[in-house]
Amino acid sequence: MTPSIEREAVMENVLQPVRENVRTVTVAQGETLERVFMLRDSSCGLPMEHLVLEAGSRADVTVVVMPGVSCDIRLAVDIAGENACCSVKGIYLCPDNEKVHIAVDMNHLVPHCSSRQLFKGIAGGSSSVDFYGKIIVAALAQKTEAYQENHSLLLSDKSCVNTRPQLEIYADDVKCSHGATIGRLNGEEQFYMRSRGITLREARVLQMISFLSPVFHDMPESAVREEIEEAVEKAVRQM
Amino acid sequence: MDDRTEKNILQDIAGQEYEHGFVTDVEQEFIPKGLNEDIIRLISAKKEEPEWLLEFRLGAFRRWQKMKVPAWAHLKIPEIDFQDIIYYAAPKKDSDRPKEIDPELEKTFDKLGIPLGERAALAGVAVDAVFDSVSVATTFRQALSEKGIIFCSFSEAVKEHPDLVRKYLASVVPVGDNFYAALNSAVFSDGSFCYIPKGVRCPMELSSYFRINARGTGQFERTLIVADEGSYVSYMEGCTAPMRDENQLHAAVVEIVVEKDAEVKYSTVQNWYPGDAQGRGGIFNFVTKRGICKGCGSHLSWTQVETGSAITWKYPSTILKGDNSSSEFYSVAVTNNWQQADTGTKMIHIGKNTRSRIISKGISAGHSQNSYRGLVKMLPGADNARNYSQCDSLLIGDKCGAHTFPDIQNANMTAVVEHEATTSKISEDQLFYCNQRGIGPEEAVGLIVNGYAREVLSKLPMEFAVEAQKLLQVSLEGSVG
Repeated sequence: MTPSIEREAVMENVLQPVRENVRTVTVAQGETLERVFMLRDSSCGLPMEHLVLEAGSRADVTVVVMPGVSCDIRLAVDIAGENACCSVKGIYLCPDNEKVHIAVDMNHLVPHCSSRQLFKGIAGGSSSVDFYGKIIVAALAQKTEAYQENHSLLLSDKSCVNTRPQLEIYADDVKCSHGATIGRLNGEEQFYMRSRGITLREARVLQMISFLSPVFHDMPESAVREEIEEAVEKAVRQM
Repeated sequence: MDDRTEKNILQDIAGQEYEHGFVTDVEQEFIPKGLNEDIIRLISAKKEEPEWLLEFRLGAFRRWQKMKVPAWAHLKIPEIDFQDIIYYAAPKKDSDRPKEIDPELEKTFDKLGIPLGERAALAGVAVDAVFDSVSVATTFRQALSEKGIIFCSFSEAVKEHPDLVRKYLASVVPVGDNFYAALNSAVFSDGSFCYIPKGVRCPMELSSYFRINARGTGQFERTLIVADEGSYVSYMEGCTAPMRDENQLHAAVVEIVVEKDAEVKYSTVQNWYPGDAQGRGGIFNFVTKRGICKGCGSHLSWTQVETGSAITWKYPSTILKGDNSSSEFYSVAVTNNWQQADTGTKMIHIGKNTRSRIISKGISAGHSQNSYRGLVKMLPGADNARNYSQCDSLLIGDKCGAHTFPDIQNANMTAVVEHEATTSKISEDQLFYCNQRGIGPEEAVGLIVNGYAREVLSKLPMEFAVEAQKLLQVSLEGSVG
């Protein structure tokens, strides 16, 4: 679709391939969708805005916002079939004056489904990050498990992060939680590493990489994972 | 537990009576229904207010006319006809005994457990009792004034301490802050005023008790608490209303000013009439409460137990302006039947090394909707500021809703903000554990809910803690998730 998507990572059993103009993607019954989107250019966002999961399907979407990219990412997920499972993850790296806006709506419409959201990022320079994530569990959607996390690091005085994790729960037999933190690099950890001969610069890089690494953890395709990890590490070293 | 007993138990809770639902039969005087500048002039004249306060009211009214009803809360609020409310109602003073309290009123407050006579056994609490639009009595004024503490009704404060009132009125909640605050500024009737001078530790708990009695009225109380340098006060607030089919409006404004090294502890047990099991009647509780930690090292702590009201719209907030100041917010909000609550807090960090902590526990049952809404804002100057928020929701029954809407804004790299929220029902494991040890299902739920709310209840002053625990039991006894 656009040059900014470097890689459509893993593609298997996708009913409807991601095409231009296709804003709604449906994952058919029992199928799996796995996608990694690397955004390297401000000119465009996510090629899909609406993801529908049918019964027993699985979706795993990862978004990586590289330095220099200002973007507005909006994704609405409808979990419409039972026993579906959805994971949306993201990393944002904003060392300069980027404006990143991320909004995820996770709609649990039916019982016995699970979803997980994990967004982690670093804001420096005069960048600003806005995160909005909502989990809606309809009255019918009993036995839902939905989790959401958003963690950010601030590297400079002029950067700012606003986060609005929201839960709207209408069913009682559910397990839902969200967590959000905004903080800085831990000085004690830096001291530990520096007292062992690691330079401050390297210590900071290690801290940032370990901070971001949970996003990669359960990425299934190792070749893709390694490539993304490499790109992220390179970007972090320049921050 | 089988479905049938579960159903019975749920019916039992729905059938719980609201024990403060009686009406007091006293002769009252009302002003005509409706709201316009003449009504405001009439209220002001009734209270024999100075010119500046009338101007303040009229200014607020003109601002209010241009404002819109806020619609952002997760609430379904039926349209309120502001012209259909009586804005002032007061029990008539007996012409034979102008100084004494009407025995009927004394009986009413006695029945509510609020003694208006100063009794030795209850020497620990000074009470300001507000009945509809006027304060009927303030106890222990003499004992307090010996220490220089001013504790009286707002109307008296306007007459006796106009400089203090003028200095601090609307300094924390500006007239145009929001729709209901503007309405309150235009028509506020009575409330409490409290001033603790420098270095004084208030020797007893101060408390206000608000009672709505008259039909067709609204209550618009205004409370102002000022704690000067190095002082300490613990303040409690309670409220009840009769059972009626109509909805009554309660729009209050509470302002708290905490100077350098002072500490204020503000506790509320809100038990307005919540409406019946079908959702008819009940109080609309639209309240603006805000405190400012003005000086270095000041501390403000909010504790609230919200069990009543058909609709609650309430966000006690703190502006942490002074360096090293700190604030806490502890809340238990219980909704049952068709109640709706949208409540939470705002912590605005301006000063360096400011700290805040938010613990919110929501419990929803029946067809109710219970939301936590909060803002934590770190301004660029809030170096090393710290916030921790925890919001837990407990769902009892599958027709209710529990929601969490936090907003976290950080613009300072040395500030750290943490937020976590969970939603769940009472776990089968916990119930099983209790059952296994011979604790019946009802008792087990009571135990679990009490344990769930303990962190907040333990922050309440002794006088309130007992009442709050009882209230929790009344509204949720025997419920099973």
